[in-house]
Amino acid sequence: MLKKFKRMKVLRSLEVWKMGSINYLNALKLQEKLVSDRKTHKIPDTLLSLQHPPTYTLGKRRTDHNLLIPEPDLQKIGAELHYTQRGGDITFHGPHQAILYPIISLRDVGLGARNYVEKLELTMIELASLYGVRARAGQTGETGVWVGERKIGAIGVRISYGITSHGLAFNIDPDLNYFKHIVPCGIANKEVTSLRKETDSVLPAEEVIHEQLISCFARVLGYSNLIWKENGSILSDSVEN
Amino acid sequence: MALRVWASSTANALRISSASKARLSPAFSLSRCFSTVLDGLKYASSHEWVKHEGAVATIGITDHAQDHLGEVVFVELPEPGGKVSQGGSFGAVESVKATSDVNSPISGEVVEVNSKLTGSPGLINSSPYEEGWMIKVKPSSPSELESLLGPKEYTKFCEEEDAAH
Repeated sequence: MLKKFKRMKVLRSLEVWKMGSINYLNALKLQEKLVSDRKTHKIPDTLLSLQHPPTYTLGKRRTDHNLLIPEPDLQKIGAELHYTQRGGDITFHGPHQAILYPIISLRDVGLGARNYVEKLELTMIELASLYGVRARAGQTGETGVWVGERKIGAIGVRISYGITSHGLAFNIDPDLNYFKHIVPCGIANKEVTSLRKETDSVLPAEEVIHEQLISCFARVLGYSNLIWKENGSILSDSVEN
Repeated sequence: MALRVWASSTANALRISSASKARLSPAFSLSRCFSTVLDGLKYASSHEWVKHEGAVATIGITDHAQDHLGEVVFVELPEPGGKVSQGGSFGAVESVKATSDVNSPISGEVVEVNSKLTGSPGLINSSPYEEGWMIKVKPSSPSELESLLGPKEYTKFCEEEDAAH
């Protein structure tokens, strides 16, 4: 009969970088460096909080048949296109969409890919519920976060040597017309929506929503110590669990 | 113990095409984590297995790995003729919106890849040690196999990994 020990609560730290709007390629390069640093234990689990200028991205499967306008026309609508190594299909990132790129060690948090993706879904579901929006995880094959049959949050993750990169994108109030030029996530006949469209509540400043998203993530993943990094300054914030 | 291990691996061998959640009954269980671990294979801590048979070694990911990944929808494999090095990435598997790199437990030359995985990536889930094999490699340093984990050590490693949280 195994004796049950009361597990000691380990203080898990997360370094949070609030980055504002950054170009997709720059964010990609930064993530590559951070993954390498995390792998060699130079940095703790790190979370990037940011937005992108209008950008379409494809995953490892390069499903460019889901891009419905010719590539040369992208410039005309002010958007870029990038191919990435993340999982998932085609998606759009743009202003007023909150993005989180966690660079964490799955081994250290004790998660496999599937559980990690479920927690990313839960993070967005919890954020939506703060505004009275009842969101849910997608059915099999429809990963992401949905309100009814409308998609409010997307996920695409890369795992290399057990370290995550890329992450989630939550629609606060992006220009949904951009999604008309793609088959979002390869799922046809489903609408894309946003927090603005789904809630009657008055939305606070976006900065507030970004911070709420970060808090939801920290809570769902079990981080009790958040170190905030903004424009080079570091503020420590220990949260009682 | 030896009889139990033999019986367990025979039971596993007979379970080739069973569903991904292969449950070992406690009497035959090599692990409490309920993932199948086969005898006769070597394992890496990044959850790949290698089967050394003469001049060629076959490599894939373990039952524990496929269970934690979820349903595999896409597999990226190298070209035959390419080189792999121990601990280095040789491909990737995509499941539920996550693409995970797969690392080679040994160094050598890729002599064959499992082309069935292009059309049936789910073989990795349903048969991680048999139909779901990923690449065959001509080992360049057979001594590397010594540094890998045996079935018992790998089982313990999985248990510790799953129990820690």
